[in-house]
Amino acid sequence: MASADPAPAGSVPAASTAAADSAGPGVATPDDGWLRVHPASPFVRGWVALAAIGFFFGRDIFERTLQGRPMFEDGFAGRVPWLVAGGGAVLLVAVLSFVLTWYFTKYQVSGGYVRVNTGFLFRQQRQARLDRVQAIDIVQPLLARIFGLAELKFEVADAGESAVRLAYLKIDDAQQLRATILARAAGIDDDAENPGAPAPEAPEYPVLSVPPSRLIGSLLLSEQSLFVVVGGVASVVLSAVTDNRAFYFYLIPAALGLAASYWNLFNKGYNFTAAISPDGIRLRYGLLDTQAQTLPPGRIQALKISQPPLWRPFGWYRMQVNVAGYGLLDNAGEASSRTTLLPVGKLDDAMNMLALVLPDPGTSRPAEVFGAGLTGLDSDGGFVTTPRRARLLAPLGWRRNGFAATDTALLIRSGRWWRNLVLVPHQRTQSMALHQGPLARRFRVADLVLHTTAGPVVPRLTQAGLDEARALFDEQSARARLARQRQTTEQWLRQVAPPGADPDSQAAETWPLGNEAHQQQEGPQHG
Amino acid sequence: MRTEAIDPPGIDWHRVSPKFVTVRLVQWALGNLAAVVILSLPLVFVLLEWWRWPPLWLAITVPAVTLVVALWRLVLIPRQVRAIGYAERDDDLLVRSGIFFQRTMAVPYGRMQYVDVAVGPVERSLGLCTVKLHTASPGTNAHIPGLPEAEGARLREQLAARGEARLAGL
Repeated sequence: MASADPAPAGSVPAASTAAADSAGPGVATPDDGWLRVHPASPFVRGWVALAAIGFFFGRDIFERTLQGRPMFEDGFAGRVPWLVAGGGAVLLVAVLSFVLTWYFTKYQVSGGYVRVNTGFLFRQQRQARLDRVQAIDIVQPLLARIFGLAELKFEVADAGESAVRLAYLKIDDAQQLRATILARAAGIDDDAENPGAPAPEAPEYPVLSVPPSRLIGSLLLSEQSLFVVVGGVASVVLSAVTDNRAFYFYLIPAALGLAASYWNLFNKGYNFTAAISPDGIRLRYGLLDTQAQTLPPGRIQALKISQPPLWRPFGWYRMQVNVAGYGLLDNAGEASSRTTLLPVGKLDDAMNMLALVLPDPGTSRPAEVFGAGLTGLDSDGGFVTTPRRARLLAPLGWRRNGFAATDTALLIRSGRWWRNLVLVPHQRTQSMALHQGPLARRFRVADLVLHTTAGPVVPRLTQAGLDEARALFDEQSARARLARQRQTTEQWLRQVAPPGADPDSQAAETWPLGNEAHQQQEGPQHG
Repeated sequence: MRTEAIDPPGIDWHRVSPKFVTVRLVQWALGNLAAVVILSLPLVFVLLEWWRWPPLWLAITVPAVTLVVALWRLVLIPRQVRAIGYAERDDDLLVRSGIFFQRTMAVPYGRMQYVDVAVGPVERSLGLCTVKLHTASPGTNAHIPGLPEAEGARLREQLAARGEARLAGL
């Protein structure tokens, strides 16, 4: 990979050997391409520890002041040296560990790799290939935002944890680093004449935004609210029947939890905007903590559009995606917001996002096919549904459970009340399986499961007719094979065209992105 | 009852070694007999009049039902082993299992991330092994048990070679 790096001859050996050298005592100096995170970052990360120390020593004094007693108890003067020494030692150890953590955390982007060295006693050197990037996020928790800092997360398909987390950088540096990583990952080489020049940020075109009123409406009408109402009614009825007021007390912790949950959803979903750039889909959201995600092209493994029953009068939809790097995050709340492609949007918004995810719909009538997938019944839009003989297995859903295949993706729709449409691009199918239990065999139906990376979307075609399922199993293998052969290199050199200058003027049957946007590029399959 | 297979017609399935029945029998014995013995303990205690609860009919019914289910499973084992099959197609490996609950899985060679060969103590004594395929999806739960060791090694090499030839990214 070093040959791909046209950096000046002097700096290349230094950079490429630094990873090996830095385990020794000779700590790399900043001028060999290694950079450090912002000096304030350990304090921003460790403010809880500092606050705890402050609380421990300050609490007593504070309480005494409140109680009107003298601020210092009798005999305090005798213990002052000990207290000061103890507090000073704790503070010193904390600050020293912060400084050491900061000093030993270094990162470098060169030669197609991003490298991060961390650790003081237990050293860790990590390098990740840039063209294996699945997503890059810039996260700004409230405190970091106050100081103008940001955390950069670089995700690869390992799904365990973020491959690279740099906390914290100055927000401008973080954006610059993201632009550099994306440019290198896209295959744009360093400028040969001016190797140190920062890569320009790719231009982006806004696609949609979610107004706060709609977000609040969607939260109020979410499934969660349904449970709130049902739970509230149930508890009132219970307390009336049993003549016991105690039920109200049980509601208090529940209400607190719910308020926290609503607040979290609101905080995460506030001011959601989506944009398209040559580097992929950009999502930005957050009220207090803000987050900016970049999903490079072709990184979305599966997509789900869903509509709870209460959203139907408003025509709202929610979109969630599986991205390899986001898979199994330990923090469930964070994972759910990061895998949300659209928290709430109208049909047009959903179609626009769909066009970004799947630039080539693979059909000449995308609006009809995807529209039928969202709201249709029976064979609208070319869907094949559960055969009539199996209607007892799914009395409500049998007219809706079905699938349709375009040239580029498989669409699986389900749910009469809770409408779902799952979409899996053919070239993202990992493996698949046909399942059939005894009851399904009685009705000659079978389930087809497509396996994708971990995430909120689980593509499963339920109760398809046996012959159709079997045919689909074979056809889908063939389609996935063809799509893999066509698969582009992971360096998305070719640029995605911006959406039409005036999206409102588009005719119903034109896919929001023009067809020129998705010409398949033939490239060497990466190794 | 003759059941219709769900897998695509015209596939020449390789079956696993009949010796795998022995492995399954050992597994069955360890699991089910232990369950029956433990569930029979209350019956013994009640008969010895150490315990007053549960009533006698319950103490008899629970282990009896467990025993019947265990025996039913025992009868099914040879059929289940015969139902396990795999087929190497040009671009993917098909793995099937089950008669009552059937499953047929297709794993494209290019999607395989790694291949495991695992051998347990009972399998080793019979010269068998289990080949497991892993893709980027946790849902791909493809394992072929009861392969003769030579066949397992051949399959592993074959899968690795084909995977390399057809390697695709995510």
